[in-house]
Amino acid sequence: MSNSRISRRDFLEAVSAAGLGALVASTGRAFGLEAVTNPLATYPARGWENAYRDLWKYDSRFTFLCAPNDTHNCLLHGYVRSGVVTRIGPTMRYGEATDLDGNRASHRWDPRVCQKGLALTRRLYGDRRINQCMVRAGFKKWVEAGFPRGGDGLPPREFFQRGRDEWVRVGHDEAAALVAAALKNIAETYTGEEGKKRLLAQHYDPVTVEATGGAGVQVLKFRGGMPLLGMTRVFGLYRMANAMALLDAHIRKVGPDQAVGGKGFDNYSWHTDLPPGHPMVTGQQTIEFDLNAVEHCKTVVVWGMNWITTKMPDAHWLTEARIKGTRVVVIACEYSATCTKGDEAIVVRPGTTPALALGLANVIMKEKLYDADYVRRWTDLPILVRTDTLKYLRAAEVFGNKPAGLANQTRVLAEGEKEPPPGAQREMLIPEKMRQEWGDFVWWDRAANAPRPLSRDEVGEKSSVGDALLEGPVEVVLADGTKVRCRPVFDLVREYAAHFDLKTTEEMTWAPAATVESLARHLAREPGTTLFTVGMGPNQFFNNDNKDRTIFLLAALTGNVGRIGGNVGSYAGNHRVALFNGAPQYINENPFDIELDPAKPARPRQYWKPESAHYYNHEDHPLRVGNRLLTGSTHIPAPTKSMWFANANSILGNVKWHYNTVVNVLPRIEMIAVNEWWWTPSCEWADVVFGVDSWAELKHPDMTASVTNPFLTVFPRTPLPRIFNTLGDVEVLALVGAKLAALTGDQRFEDYWKFVRENRTEVYLQRILNGSTNTRGYQFADLEAKAAEGVPVLMNTRTTPKSVGYEQTADSRPWYTKSGRLESYREENEFIEAGENLPVHREPVDSTFYEPNVIVAPRHEAIRPAAPEDYGVARTDLSCETRQGRNVVRTWAEEKNTPHPLARDGYRFVFHTPKYRHGSHTTPIDTDMIAVLFGPFGDLYRHDKRAPFVTEGYVDINPLDARELGVHDGDYVWIDPDPEDRPFRGWQKNPRDYEFARLLCRARYYPGTPRGVTRMWFNMYCATPGSREGQATRKDGLAKSPRTGYQAMFRSGSHQSATRGWLKPTWMTDTLVRKHIFGQIIGKGFLPDVHCPTGAPREAIVKITKAEPGGLDGKGLWRPADLGLRPRYESAEMSIYLSGGFIAAPNKES
Amino acid sequence: MAVVHNWQIGRSMSYWYPEHRPRRQFAAVFDVNKCIACQTCTLACKTTWTTGKGQEYMLWNNVESKPYGFYPLAWDLKLLKMLGPQEWHGGEYTGRTLFEAAPAGKRVLGWRPDDKDYAYPNVGEDDCAGTIENGAGLSVPHLTWFFYLARICNHCTYPACLASCPRSSIYKRPEDGVVLVDQSRCRGYRECVQACPYKKVFYNPITGTSEKCIACFPKLEAGEQPQCFVNCIGKIRLAGWISTPEKASPDNPIDYLVHVRKVALPLFPQFGLEPNVYYIPPVHAPVSFLRQMFGPRAEAAVRTYQSAAGDPDLAGLLGLFGCTEKVVPRWRRQDEQVIAQDETGREILRVPLREPVHVRKAFDEKYQVARTNCP
Repeated sequence: MSNSRISRRDFLEAVSAAGLGALVASTGRAFGLEAVTNPLATYPARGWENAYRDLWKYDSRFTFLCAPNDTHNCLLHGYVRSGVVTRIGPTMRYGEATDLDGNRASHRWDPRVCQKGLALTRRLYGDRRINQCMVRAGFKKWVEAGFPRGGDGLPPREFFQRGRDEWVRVGHDEAAALVAAALKNIAETYTGEEGKKRLLAQHYDPVTVEATGGAGVQVLKFRGGMPLLGMTRVFGLYRMANAMALLDAHIRKVGPDQAVGGKGFDNYSWHTDLPPGHPMVTGQQTIEFDLNAVEHCKTVVVWGMNWITTKMPDAHWLTEARIKGTRVVVIACEYSATCTKGDEAIVVRPGTTPALALGLANVIMKEKLYDADYVRRWTDLPILVRTDTLKYLRAAEVFGNKPAGLANQTRVLAEGEKEPPPGAQREMLIPEKMRQEWGDFVWWDRAANAPRPLSRDEVGEKSSVGDALLEGPVEVVLADGTKVRCRPVFDLVREYAAHFDLKTTEEMTWAPAATVESLARHLAREPGTTLFTVGMGPNQFFNNDNKDRTIFLLAALTGNVGRIGGNVGSYAGNHRVALFNGAPQYINENPFDIELDPAKPARPRQYWKPESAHYYNHEDHPLRVGNRLLTGSTHIPAPTKSMWFANANSILGNVKWHYNTVVNVLPRIEMIAVNEWWWTPSCEWADVVFGVDSWAELKHPDMTASVTNPFLTVFPRTPLPRIFNTLGDVEVLALVGAKLAALTGDQRFEDYWKFVRENRTEVYLQRILNGSTNTRGYQFADLEAKAAEGVPVLMNTRTTPKSVGYEQTADSRPWYTKSGRLESYREENEFIEAGENLPVHREPVDSTFYEPNVIVAPRHEAIRPAAPEDYGVARTDLSCETRQGRNVVRTWAEEKNTPHPLARDGYRFVFHTPKYRHGSHTTPIDTDMIAVLFGPFGDLYRHDKRAPFVTEGYVDINPLDARELGVHDGDYVWIDPDPEDRPFRGWQKNPRDYEFARLLCRARYYPGTPRGVTRMWFNMYCATPGSREGQATRKDGLAKSPRTGYQAMFRSGSHQSATRGWLKPTWMTDTLVRKHIFGQIIGKGFLPDVHCPTGAPREAIVKITKAEPGGLDGKGLWRPADLGLRPRYESAEMSIYLSGGFIAAPNKES
Repeated sequence: MAVVHNWQIGRSMSYWYPEHRPRRQFAAVFDVNKCIACQTCTLACKTTWTTGKGQEYMLWNNVESKPYGFYPLAWDLKLLKMLGPQEWHGGEYTGRTLFEAAPAGKRVLGWRPDDKDYAYPNVGEDDCAGTIENGAGLSVPHLTWFFYLARICNHCTYPACLASCPRSSIYKRPEDGVVLVDQSRCRGYRECVQACPYKKVFYNPITGTSEKCIACFPKLEAGEQPQCFVNCIGKIRLAGWISTPEKASPDNPIDYLVHVRKVALPLFPQFGLEPNVYYIPPVHAPVSFLRQMFGPRAEAAVRTYQSAAGDPDLAGLLGLFGCTEKVVPRWRRQDEQVIAQDETGREILRVPLREPVHVRKAFDEKYQVARTNCP
């Protein structure tokens, strides 16, 4: 203790004895200071205040765009002092955004910013910025040794010690040369019959080997992570994939007509953002609406969406709509953050959304509360289904005529007719062949007691459906005289939904019966006035298409699809690249026919082929169950031998089933290249990391848009000099192009990026604007100039707020389905075989206390799936792989008595991994100021040195469950998923990798989660071999890799220790009819981000065991619990506090 | 001791210095119902003011989840326990304020946090009172509940920090009522840290001085709202100037919400500091807890807030929050527009009660292109 403090204490004792007058008089004397009589009134020397005024000052200000994959796209000001960005703030100028007609947004859109954007000051200069490029030492040696390979084609293992190897810093030029050489070598290795033999020798599934067609470039996978987030910078990886056609032409000596490009991984579906049932009902990707539409509805059902934590800058639209009278109903599987904003909050069992939607629909159908007019005009519910074939009855079968001509905003493309580019399309375009296949449909006229034909033109105001039979069977006489029993879709659905009576619904979903009943009646009371905002929660379960189809059923019954104030929106990811449907001008420019005149449009030709990354995630093979291949032929992937990605941590660092991927899948991949500006876990596992510019340093402009707001936002070039030795993402692509040109002698590789090299990337951006439906008319230079001032522009969509389905409803335009209607029924063979021709409820594939993936249904004549035996597998085979294609039907009464197969071994907790406010995915989660506020264990000084970082991963568990396990609040626990294949297949014999893969984390008592349901946030950085080594060897104990600086937030494992790559047959059909991504043309089968696997990363049943006490250094209780401040540890005073007891006697306001 | 009037507790009370109100008093309204705990305010403050050595743990602005969240640990609970259960009679607080309850030799009843109390600054995040067993169907008020409490220095009319400083290093600026710790005069005795019931004064071991929220006075001097207000994306905050009740003016948005509609209430008014951040209490939390935290008018404030659907003035003003960086001293509503005005009545900006719907033509003749929501 210092002398001054001792004297101060003496002084205080002296003055307190002397009293007030003495003190005031004595203050100045005692300290030799000017006396202050009353500091409420006057204070003598205020010159020191300039210290704060000086701290506030800045030399200059510039604008940049912050756009992680959160849909918000915030133009931010960076404030520069002495050349350094010292702080960041909103531009406050979204209220000046206009469209081409002069319509204007209001300042209620301001401010657009969040804590993660503000924290970028800590990141732009952070120690994990990538300076130049990093190449893994073993990889460099492998390339420099001339790509040695074994007899099966695989490189020797000694070159591939990923995650544990040393790194070499090299310039971009050298890194680009290495990548170009590797791309060429890998493509050559796997080209032709020799190439196929090598792949077979490496045990790839023969259908995937065949899928390469002998073109080695097909094993090269490219991915720009959520390409909408950077039309040239991120989407450029697909342009690179297209350029691989030049490489193929070089290797196989083929011309432009035979050449194929590389493979491009999907995005929206890869992130499990795609709601796969949306295209099943509407025929197009997704319905969503700008979130301010909530001001125009009477009720909003926030369903499995933690709106206020994941849509933060647009949360105020919800709270402000509520102020103005919108009823807010929140459905969640815990008492979530958003529940606190609800007039009604309904807590349900995870993964039971289809059952809840069916329970609600049942009330409405049973009580005949549905919007009958909407049902007749817009849905397939009146359409007849043959009970023998389970197909829609076709008009041709009954009336013998040909399909009707189509004229309702529709044009049938003659055989061989090429569609115009998307920006020039006005009508829906249907190829003649498909038109003939679909035919017309039939409804039953009750008044005439006769069948009536129905063409897909007849929707909305153009609907001819009158007094249609909705309930009961009917016998229809076909043109050939045969009689078939038919039932309207409505009748089939009604019978099925009746299984979900209130009692059953409550048992299944945990939503109280009375709540279900009253909500159903409320929704039906005023049709067309409810917005359903459906979040990522229910979408991350295996039954996600069931979820969409049943919610659409509910919405259709209540007239809530396609209206500004009545619609179903899905909220996950920033996906709709079609907002720039002129994108093919850039990504698909024909590499054999490059347009070098900046004023002219490109002539696109797509050489690259899309593929779902979920096969890579599924141990690089399609789904086979017993004797059946359940992946449709249009979906079949190629083996993955090279991956190059940008702007993405999801494809590797935070990949589902991460530990299986890095232990079992990566060893077969020969090059992993990453464009990054921050060292993520993806970099930890890569071979080459290109250091690229952060958003604040972009020297090439770019642009993006959003599915949740109406703005077109430009990434302006910034005046901030590059902080490290980095290049723009597009410059890296151009550089690799130049290296390929040198390697192959083909100048076109270089010309393909001409305007990048000339620093005129805006040429490509302007081509996209000119070619896009909702942006033609904008000049990029104007947009960039506005953006530099902090002002975006409005997208010229049909409406603002944009709301998909508006045209269908307002213009009586057909949906993109066979019938032109919202289709509750799916007649395709794959759906019938899966028992999902009706919108059914399947139990979750893992996150359930009951037998997984069972179709819960009564005996029903239309539910006739292929049984396990039909696939040649035993009904008792519940292994994870087989389970995915297992079609077993049980009533709820049966199902509730069949436990999950691991229940007897103590696996009794659903473990789900949603997203939270502290990260946009994993950005910028390992920034100290962000991390310390993430959850209850943040501690900047790390009093407990076991902590991997200034915060750490934790599992939320119901206190009653924790007590039963002997786990205290704050204790460390082990979390173990199904040992069959997680954290990785073969862990039992691989202790070296199991050591960093097994999940160890804190447990937090969380009274808001139901019993049996545990939660861990999705956002934190996983443990790696390097982070484990850091914890073991660093003096401070940080889980920070000694070689790379990578900072983990777990001691071992991560939330991805329990997830797995799951494939569902109905995601992989060849027959589903759906609109193309870009424009209005309709096709069928696989389409990336539209009809494609989504995975199911919220599926895991786990066992939890205590590892260590939570108190400091492993002794006793975690301090807040010890102090009586935590749930179930409340001290006496804490109990008084909770009850409001510190105000003694409640009294009335006078 | 002097006798001063504290309108928030409906009576006079003792205070170390005589009553003296600044020429105008900085004040704020925080709508708890809109707060989303995004911590953007926290980071706006932190990245602007407390990035230096010795400031690592300091959050001049923080957001905590009530009831299990505290920064620092147990800040309010500990003091409530020391003070013991107290009473209101109607609008008059008949219990003891912190000044009146001060032990012998002290000017204020208070306690000083241990450095470990500043660890876990977001402890209790989203933890609710009550337990969900399995499902639930909750309506307002929720039986299980939590809410977010954003906190800055209250720039109190009767600051405990100021009263407690033996060096008189803390003062209230006459021009705006902002309370500052003179960094050149302070010697870090931490009496203020002990005295401030809201624990919004922080000791910096590197500089040896105590520091606190300065209401971004360099911005206020330029007519702008503080950082934590401008960066608030929940749009819960409005900064301005508060009058005493008898001088309240309905065209002053703070006066309107605090004095006219009485929908915004002080935080722990019973402590007696006349704090100047006013909270619109959360409508879903139990009234007993709200009364303990915001005083006896909490229930009425909740009712008023719930009536805003039929009240375009109240709903409109709440929609004006966060729309401009400027301080908004005056406001008015004109039909469907809410208008922010400066001191002279000149318009700063206007926003609609509801963001309008624009419908464009399906085919844009000028640019020869279809405009569609499903491109």
